[in-house]
Amino acid sequence: MSKPNDLVQGTLDLLLLKILALEPLHGWAISLRLRSISGDVLQVSEGSLYPALHKLEQEGWIQAEWKQTENNRRAKFYSVTRLGRKQLETETANWQRLSTAITQVVQISEA
Amino acid sequence: MRMEHWWYTLPLRLKSILLRRRMERELEEELQFHLEHKIEEGLAEGLSPAEARYRALRAMDGLEQRKEEMRDVRRVQWLTDFLDDLWYAMRSLRRTPGLTAFVVMTIALGIGMTATPFSMLDALVFRPYPVANPSEIMTLMSSSRDNRYDAFSFPEYMELRAHTESYHGVAASLPLSAVGFSAKADTTPVVRGGMLVSGNYFRVLGVEPQLGRGFRDDEDAVPGRDAVVVLAPGFWKREFASDPNVVGRVVRLNGAEFTVIGVAPESFPGMLIFSRPDFYVPLAMAKLFSTDPRKSFFVDRDDRELTVRARLKRGVTQAQAQHELDLLARGFEREYPKFNRDRGAVVRTQFELRTREDDVNWKFSVIFTVLALGVLLVACTNAAGLLLSRARTRTREIAVRLAMGAGRFRLIRLLLTETLVIALLGGLGGVGVGYVGIELLQRFEIPADLPVTVPFRMDLRVLTASLVLSVLCALFCGLAPALQSTRMDLSAGLKTADVDMPGRRRLWGRNALVVAQVAMSLMLLAASFLMVRGFRSSLGEGIGFSKDHLLMVKFDPRLIQYSEAQTQQFYRLLTERLRSTAGVLSTGLTQNPPLGLDDFDKLSFVPDGFEMPKDRDSFQATMDTVDASYFQTMGIGILRGRGFAESDSAEAPRVAIVNEHFARHYWPNADAVGKHFRLDGRTGPAVRIVGIAQTVKYSETFEKAMDFVYLPVAQHAVPRMVLMVKTSGDPMQLVQPVKDAVRGLDPNMPMIETRTYEDLYRYASVDGPQVAINLVGTFGAVGLLLAMAGLYGLVAYNVTRRTREIGIRMAIGANQFDVLRLMMGKGLMLVGLGTVIGLALGFAVERLLNSMLFNAGGVDVLAYLMVVPVMLLVTTFAAYVPARSATRIAPTRALRYE
Repeated sequence: MSKPNDLVQGTLDLLLLKILALEPLHGWAISLRLRSISGDVLQVSEGSLYPALHKLEQEGWIQAEWKQTENNRRAKFYSVTRLGRKQLETETANWQRLSTAITQVVQISEA
Repeated sequence: MRMEHWWYTLPLRLKSILLRRRMERELEEELQFHLEHKIEEGLAEGLSPAEARYRALRAMDGLEQRKEEMRDVRRVQWLTDFLDDLWYAMRSLRRTPGLTAFVVMTIALGIGMTATPFSMLDALVFRPYPVANPSEIMTLMSSSRDNRYDAFSFPEYMELRAHTESYHGVAASLPLSAVGFSAKADTTPVVRGGMLVSGNYFRVLGVEPQLGRGFRDDEDAVPGRDAVVVLAPGFWKREFASDPNVVGRVVRLNGAEFTVIGVAPESFPGMLIFSRPDFYVPLAMAKLFSTDPRKSFFVDRDDRELTVRARLKRGVTQAQAQHELDLLARGFEREYPKFNRDRGAVVRTQFELRTREDDVNWKFSVIFTVLALGVLLVACTNAAGLLLSRARTRTREIAVRLAMGAGRFRLIRLLLTETLVIALLGGLGGVGVGYVGIELLQRFEIPADLPVTVPFRMDLRVLTASLVLSVLCALFCGLAPALQSTRMDLSAGLKTADVDMPGRRRLWGRNALVVAQVAMSLMLLAASFLMVRGFRSSLGEGIGFSKDHLLMVKFDPRLIQYSEAQTQQFYRLLTERLRSTAGVLSTGLTQNPPLGLDDFDKLSFVPDGFEMPKDRDSFQATMDTVDASYFQTMGIGILRGRGFAESDSAEAPRVAIVNEHFARHYWPNADAVGKHFRLDGRTGPAVRIVGIAQTVKYSETFEKAMDFVYLPVAQHAVPRMVLMVKTSGDPMQLVQPVKDAVRGLDPNMPMIETRTYEDLYRYASVDGPQVAINLVGTFGAVGLLLAMAGLYGLVAYNVTRRTREIGIRMAIGANQFDVLRLMMGKGLMLVGLGTVIGLALGFAVERLLNSMLFNAGGVDVLAYLMVVPVMLLVTTFAAYVPARSATRIAPTRALRYE
């Protein structure tokens, strides 16, 4: 239950890095963004979001900062570090290689 | 990349450890923020507040589990858990301060008593050479039937150096025990110790001078040409006040000028354990430091004085190097049968060299370390027993924790943390105890002008060993109680404080503990008793000569460049003058007084008319060079024949006096007086035996009788002699008259090590063994104390455990004697079993001791007759005291117990 079993392993990291690379966000905003970008195709449990964020933070890929939100509440904002951007590049490249390969395999089996 | 990673993550890790509360708050706040938004969203969709809240929480899939997951990703959980456990352990230990203190003390004693002998063992055996890659350094040794640890001669060394391929260089060294040193030309020389080394010595060892340079290869090529010296770091500090401009200065060694070219680094105090050279000079200067004018160092193939060390090439095994050396040694044998017959050569590692079988020092430290480990084991079993009883009183607490879902592993960790705290406190105390012990060893005063270093010290290695030991102790003491107390029947554990009534296995464990303790301390006591008796009996045999009223002064006329004739003249005039001095009864000259600190020279000889075994050319005996009045001065009796006389001059036929053991050994059925032996093999000069001296102790008070030969100083000139002066009064009163006599002959002559002979004797033959006796005695006493405490604790614990049973028994009519028998019977049976095992162990240790140290055969029955009853008495007492308290239990109270 706790694992995002509806996502390919490791994909959540990629998604989070990608989202945060655009702009720093707090957890709630990230969960909204996840929902809106991927629609119903990718189901990310809100429960697994925070452990995933903390893991990325401990890896040094994102860093957190407590800031005021627009309606003046304190929230923990995450942003991607330099290390995280490198990681994002590698993971994107990996993902592209993998998806190309899989697409090809799928096409071969159909022919 | 890695650096950058840590740049981001290190502050987080530190924060997780140091700011745990804040981390928790932030975690809470972050999730709360999310939940509130989720609830607001629900409310906006028209849900009731309760519904909205419920949905928000559901979306998290269990808030608390999420939090734990988030804590886990911090990767410091194990540490924070450990800190929690530590905190808890401290608190719970504070609740039982008496028990904690006792266990800590027990372990401290055990570890401290191990640290002291271990520091000795480390210094004598394990501490690596202070050089680069010390494990590559091999020592090459010549090996003959009489001496398996012989050195090499200079010609042999040169051939080894030229014809071996296994090494990155072969270096040689020769310690110089007394060199006349003066920093300036006009000062009276003082005696210092140095080292003759080959030109490649520092390079082979990988030692870089901290100042100036080391020797060049060409500096040991031409005998006597290059008078250069490298100073040792300590000497540079003491004599030259760490003068940075010392390189280029000229100093005098044995009267000759030497130029300082460098200073060895601080990290290199020398290769020897017990002494540190003050300076290094090239091997080519050997002639200047020669102790025996008859020897020709650079030519004689049998003048074996050089320690040869070589650095093994990488990829070459010791076996390969040995094979190569075997071939060379066989070559030597073929080419020089006169000097090398039956003589091999051996490659030895540092460990092999330091554990040589003819050295007692390391054997002593092995024995002490083993004894100490025995004490530690007893201490640990004691501690385990006490912790076991402590764990029992906490049965209910542990049952509650288990019932609430604590993991067994987690709980074991918690309990082990407690033991670890105890053990580390004990380890700390142990380091203190060990420190005191080592201090005491170091305070050992050595009466020599040349500093003899006591290498035992509390260093990082000993500290680490102590720490590791205490952690092992924790595991040993803590694991059994922890495993047992977490393996319980929960429902029973919750109901009562005592759950293990029948448990056969657990009782077996406790019984074994008692047996082991009794056996171990009996063995320790027997061993210490045997050693004490061994030493005492060897001291009691007597030394054979009189050691009182003697003043001794050492002279070395070479230090001021005396010729052989001048030297003889000096000694003759000095003894003549002293004989007419008031208070002097007699004087004697000897190369080396008996039971002193130096080794005697060896003499190889062939007795006339003695059937030599086929496989050997000559025999060896220990020898001394003395003057005519030496025997009278030392009170060594001449049993047959005569002593030396003035007529035994250099021109007269050569004579010798042998001891009784020697005479019996070679002429068992005839009078040795008048017989001859030949020096240096069959063709050497013949020497007539003119007298038989009484056999005395020569090297050690506990040595076996050995062959000994005296040669007259007139026929066997030795420059360095010790003058013994016998007086009727206080020997120290003679110091000034002797000084005056010496000044009258030559004001520049240094007087070395002026002291009474009894001082030397006390140091070399009494204090040393006494320290050993005290040490072993302490082991025995501490062992007995520990065993007593352990037994008392265990019986007392049994009494507490069976309080209710005793109550019932007394209620239905058992009298006090029955109860006493019930409580003690089992204990005494265990003591009996332990005694039997302990006796077996004791016999084994006795054989070991006899084979290693004392050459006494058979079993020392008296030792056991004294130890066993004491042991039984003490253990019975230890069992009786708590058992007696059981008889005082009031049945009504006992039944109400719990």
